[in-house]
Amino acid sequence: MHPFIENQLLQTRRQFFGSQGLKLGSLALGMMMAQEKKAHAEVVHKPLFGLPHHKPTAKSIIYFHMNGAPSQIDLWDHKPILKDFFNKDLPPSVQAGQRLSTMTSGQARFPVAPSKFNFTQEGKCGRWINAELLPYTAKVVDDIALIKSVFTNAINHDPACTFVMTGNEVPGKASIGSWLAYGLGSENNNLPSFVVFTPRFPDGSNGQALFTRMWSSGFLPTRFNGVALRGTGDPVLYLRNPEGVSASDRRTMLDTMQKLNQKELQQLGDPEIQTRISQYEMAFRMQSSVPELTDLSTESKRTLEMYGPNVDVPGTFTHSAIMARRLVERGVRVVQLFHRGWDQHSDLPKQLGNQCKDTDRGVGALIMDLKQRGLLDQTLVIWGGEFGRTVYSQGTLNNQTYGRDHHPRNFCMWMAGGGVKPGISYGETDDFSYNITKDPVHINDLNATILHCMGIDHEQFTFKYQGLEQKLTGVEHQRVIKELLL
Amino acid sequence: MKRLFFALLVLGGSTLVHTAEVPKPTLSFNKDIRPILSEYCFACHGQGKSKGELRLDSFAHFIKAGASGEKAIVPSHPETSQVITRIFATERKMVMPPPSTKKTLTNDQKETLQKWIAQGAKYEKHWSFEPIANIKPLDKTPYAIDSFLLERLKKNGMKYSSLADRSTLLRRVSFTLTGLTPTVQEMETFLKDKSPDAYEKMIDRYLESPKYGEEMARHWLDIARYADTHGLHLDNERQMWAYRDWVIAAYNKNQPFDRFIVEQVAGDLLPNATLDQLIATGFNRCNVSTGEGGSISEEWVFRNAVDRTSNFTEAFLGLTGGCAVCHDHKFDPITAKDYYSLYAFFHSAADAALDGNQLLLPPIVKLALPQMKKNAEEINNEILAHRMKMLEQASKLTYEDPALKPAKSETKVTEDVWFEDEFPKGSKVFASPGKPLELVDNKKGKVFSGTKAIRRIDAGLAQDVCENMAPVTIQKDSVFFAYVYLQDNKLPKSIMLQYHSTNWLHRAVWGDYNAIAWGAANTTERVNMGPLPSTGKWVRIEVPAEKLGLKQGSIINGFAMTQFGGTVLWDKIGITGMKDPSADPAKSFLAWWKQQTGRDFSEADKDLALLIKQGPEVVKAKEQIAKVRAFYLANFCSLTKSEIDPLRIKLEELTKKKTTLEQSLPGTTIFRELPTPRDSFVMLRGQYNKPGEKVEPNTPAIFPPLKKSDPKVRATRLDLANWLVSPEQPLTSRVMVNRFWQQVFGTGLVKSSGDLGTQGELPSHPELLDWLASDFRDSQWNVKKLMKLLLTSEAFQQSSRVTNELILLDPENRLLARGPRIRLDAEQIRDNILFTSGLLSPEMGGRGSMPYQPSNIWEPVGFTGSNTRNYKQDTGAGLYRRSIYVFIKRTAPAPFMANFDLPNREALCAKRERSNTPLQALHLMNDTQHFEAARKLAERLLIESANDPEKRIILAYNIILARSPSAEETTIVMEGLQKHLARYKADPIASSKIIRIGESKFRDGLNEPELAAYTMLANTLLNLDETVNRN
Repeated sequence: MHPFIENQLLQTRRQFFGSQGLKLGSLALGMMMAQEKKAHAEVVHKPLFGLPHHKPTAKSIIYFHMNGAPSQIDLWDHKPILKDFFNKDLPPSVQAGQRLSTMTSGQARFPVAPSKFNFTQEGKCGRWINAELLPYTAKVVDDIALIKSVFTNAINHDPACTFVMTGNEVPGKASIGSWLAYGLGSENNNLPSFVVFTPRFPDGSNGQALFTRMWSSGFLPTRFNGVALRGTGDPVLYLRNPEGVSASDRRTMLDTMQKLNQKELQQLGDPEIQTRISQYEMAFRMQSSVPELTDLSTESKRTLEMYGPNVDVPGTFTHSAIMARRLVERGVRVVQLFHRGWDQHSDLPKQLGNQCKDTDRGVGALIMDLKQRGLLDQTLVIWGGEFGRTVYSQGTLNNQTYGRDHHPRNFCMWMAGGGVKPGISYGETDDFSYNITKDPVHINDLNATILHCMGIDHEQFTFKYQGLEQKLTGVEHQRVIKELLL
Repeated sequence: MKRLFFALLVLGGSTLVHTAEVPKPTLSFNKDIRPILSEYCFACHGQGKSKGELRLDSFAHFIKAGASGEKAIVPSHPETSQVITRIFATERKMVMPPPSTKKTLTNDQKETLQKWIAQGAKYEKHWSFEPIANIKPLDKTPYAIDSFLLERLKKNGMKYSSLADRSTLLRRVSFTLTGLTPTVQEMETFLKDKSPDAYEKMIDRYLESPKYGEEMARHWLDIARYADTHGLHLDNERQMWAYRDWVIAAYNKNQPFDRFIVEQVAGDLLPNATLDQLIATGFNRCNVSTGEGGSISEEWVFRNAVDRTSNFTEAFLGLTGGCAVCHDHKFDPITAKDYYSLYAFFHSAADAALDGNQLLLPPIVKLALPQMKKNAEEINNEILAHRMKMLEQASKLTYEDPALKPAKSETKVTEDVWFEDEFPKGSKVFASPGKPLELVDNKKGKVFSGTKAIRRIDAGLAQDVCENMAPVTIQKDSVFFAYVYLQDNKLPKSIMLQYHSTNWLHRAVWGDYNAIAWGAANTTERVNMGPLPSTGKWVRIEVPAEKLGLKQGSIINGFAMTQFGGTVLWDKIGITGMKDPSADPAKSFLAWWKQQTGRDFSEADKDLALLIKQGPEVVKAKEQIAKVRAFYLANFCSLTKSEIDPLRIKLEELTKKKTTLEQSLPGTTIFRELPTPRDSFVMLRGQYNKPGEKVEPNTPAIFPPLKKSDPKVRATRLDLANWLVSPEQPLTSRVMVNRFWQQVFGTGLVKSSGDLGTQGELPSHPELLDWLASDFRDSQWNVKKLMKLLLTSEAFQQSSRVTNELILLDPENRLLARGPRIRLDAEQIRDNILFTSGLLSPEMGGRGSMPYQPSNIWEPVGFTGSNTRNYKQDTGAGLYRRSIYVFIKRTAPAPFMANFDLPNREALCAKRERSNTPLQALHLMNDTQHFEAARKLAERLLIESANDPEKRIILAYNIILARSPSAEETTIVMEGLQKHLARYKADPIASSKIIRIGESKFRDGLNEPELAAYTMLANTLLNLDETVNRN
């Protein structure tokens, strides 16, 4: 083949997984992988020239986005002194005239709602944590670097979610997963480099919307969109043949079609025709290998038990968690789990309990599972929402229940593995978990740090769009938080 | 190799290549120098930011000395030019760009700069800001385009390819102009026509098809960012499909493009604006919007205006204005002040900052569809007739006006009871929240008076609401009352009475004041009435109307009883007041008439309305007084109410029907301005709450100045629109012509069709672009004429065959030594399979349709309370409408759109991607829509052709590809067909399944295995690479 065409082919083969649909995570592994390895030494998802900029400490990321904003005060940011302020007004000096969401800005008073949960110190590091709601996460706190001083620009869900994922409140920018897929490609030729799960969330929780823009490629080519693996129906859209069409019928159809396509290629010479021929063959292989890949029967009983009872139910959080491990194990670059229902404006204690119950075991199991397999060292795990929640109560406040409004000024996120210092806590807030008193970490800083772990200098990682060298980390803040890193 | 190199250099535009290979050319600032400065220098030495007081972005600036006193550039003297000294410096402190920027110039780039200064450092304004050049083509139409292209090819030692065959041409034109493949009949007509102008006539036929508008419009809708939902947060439905239909109609009637632009930007400001011109302004209502609770209104006033401004600059000027939101644009000469002066045109939008998740957020216009008009007329007539009947009956009633009684009755406390055993007739009663209303008698519960009471048992917040009761006027000293029964062991936290005037903000709470946290505390919105009433007995609770902010004369028409938890019994609910019947308009005709004198009544006919308006002092004729009196008795008198009630209830039903009908009239959002414009400011660092310098509406200084229609007042959006299409405007026409070129040839003459600014690419054929732009402008912006001009060029008619040589010389086909070959767009792929199968619905316009879609596309991302959370797939024709009519939900686009690169319409998209993925392969093979279409196409083959496999294969090729298969192709297809036939004959169960995919029925009397096998054949051909490309 002509060297130029060959090169073209290589380029277009990168377009593997276009914009949507590759659902259930583990694509054609086993058989297909072995086959591909033998047949081609080529890399489907190639990294950009010059990347990584430096030696990465993580090869993959798994990012738990707890959508709606989990309350930092009730899970991580322990403020025992608040007991003395129950139902007392938040001192004006704390609030200091800062912007409030209009959901509570009209409230006559801002009564302090201490967390009704008992915090305990867990792990060798003695991390304060709400182990009542997070018993499994409590077991892995020694692997976790907690950041108590994350802050963001946005005060409402939509812009804040867009901001945390794309570094900008305005829709249209590329998501962090797409940036990583674009820059680093992936080691797996048969899976997309960026996979997304949107697991179910508890009934009765306040489910805010998700937006495909949180995993979309924005201005980057669409092939870097996150591919959402579906929890119901075909894991990959349109994977199954229609009823009455067997695999061999499909083969007959493809044989005819490919002969005709080959003839067209001879006539017109357009390399895109060759690409299409290859893509149909890949599609056919996927039809047999995807089902094998979602099969959990190769997992040990012990592993499955660790994840808990719903691990084999597609669409649950814990199923998505084990799939995340299987994906990074196979070299997929980015896996994101978007779990909804964390927006507790009222009835927080009960709803937060439901949310934690739905997710805690899967999160804890994933960390342990990765660690046992020696994967945690090369996988960066991130956990967090889009902002925090207020110390003052929204709506009813008594010793049983309360609600909390949006709070962008500080919230907690954590990272584990992939070059992050285990068992540490970073940043401090005031007694009301209302203002940062030490070591602020802006979303841009956090994203810069994530890129750094993946071997990327965020300053040099740009894409020209609308006349600007676009960066994930925007134009302000952006500091790699070296204190968090090994 | 040398030849290849030359080609790359020529094509490269902004790419800098060795100049040593070619004889010393004069370097061009725009082509050779600006890209270097722009990439390496402007960030610090550009507009707004000028490190060391040096700016390199304009000639006046760069020959001036900087802070150091030394001149950056001395024309013809590189040796004394600081720029040269600094870029060749080796010391860290001296070298430019500084090492901290992590940008380094290559040696080639340094030498180029040096050479350019040596050649005299000639400066050029960025090409697209220069006036459109007056170019004479080397040859006349229809050869004008080719004369430019051929000249360029000749320079590169290249030439056109041979013409494509006629079938290919037909299909190419048909897709370009209508988005569909030709019909068999169209194919036969064209192939038979041997006249010299057959090709032109064929183009004309497609230009006249209504499908032309549908194809053209979808490209514009990418620019307008049209969709059917708001896009943010709830992402509820937004109704503005009339705008989409307006775009289609505008193309179909070939509206001059300058008018097309003016009506979209400022249709509302045109004198005597028509409905269509108002609909056109929907362009500026296509931005994403939010209704998210907690959002700050001022922020969204700002953000909506920014969205509209940025979209304006990109859509019409092809410039990216977004940067200037925060700071002076460092690359394009648009300052922040320029930007905010444009923004001032959009800042006073009349639509609310937050969309309230409404279907039709005002300003809107209603669209009257013919059938609906007719229905409305019918109901109106019915209402009129019924009113007459009421007057007739009322005139017969016995009534004595208390005001005319000899002994005037005394003022007394009256008591109106609204609930005794039932709610007022005609009112609407419901529970919100809570279980349905429960009425109990003495056996089941307790009753205070009459036979029934209301009982409500609930663990949390629960409420009984009564709405739309006949209006009640609050009297002097009016007091609301209700009887309530509570039990010790089933106590609620609190109970509340609530009344509706123009809103529900009148509440009285007994018990835990904060348990029902509605309304601003300690205002009339939530009044604290103290502890719960005593238990174990009926207690009358009362609250003076005035305490709830309801003064004498206020009108209420609803009430509600609310509780938090427990069991509450309610009975006898109403109002008391001090009334003198002779002065009470509800009882005295005279009192009422005096009160109404001077008012207009739309319910009364013209003559009667005049009498009422004139009042009892003027109207003295007995007959006339009787007429007014009948009207009063029929509609307002409480004393005769019971006698007229049956008729009144019927009237209410009719009126309600009329309201429902009016509400069901579709509408569309339009753009209008506030009566008093907002003051606009440069917003510092793009923050909504940091206003800087005040600005007036104006256009950027780099362009020819804005001409105001009235120099004394501030510039209007209409001035702005007229400025856009004025002959001096250098960009508008270039931008549009370039986009049409892209549509036809796949790539624009300026490849970055969304950015003609300094960061965009240079045009491959600048003279051609300018000639087309001026020709388009001077042809009264005639789009059909332009399309025909492009399609009749020889360039367009070439074969798209690619040779290795051509790929090497011109991989992207920018020089057009071969015809364009493009993967079909998402809509074309879907429409085409519907069209060839005969399923396509011809219906145009209207609300977005919901075709086949796998489950769980909307649901996993949708907000719980969103009205677009659950996908409601259409049935019947709704499944088969053209894709331009498919409902677009921004946060979860349909798979056929996302898989085939349709933008999600959150922001403008000037150029779509064309990806090629295995997910597309799965989609085309297995999607129900595609497979059903294959099945219906198979039916056509069996029915429309003689019973001969070969003939059927030929027909299939005719239908899908507008050509006949070669002998070799027929053999290949036949071989596959025979295999499928054998297989499905042997497996009738599989056959019966395959022919039932999709909703449409299959034709009776067909042989099932045969239909199954032909379905596979159709599926094969519909998946061909040739089928999904415009070849």
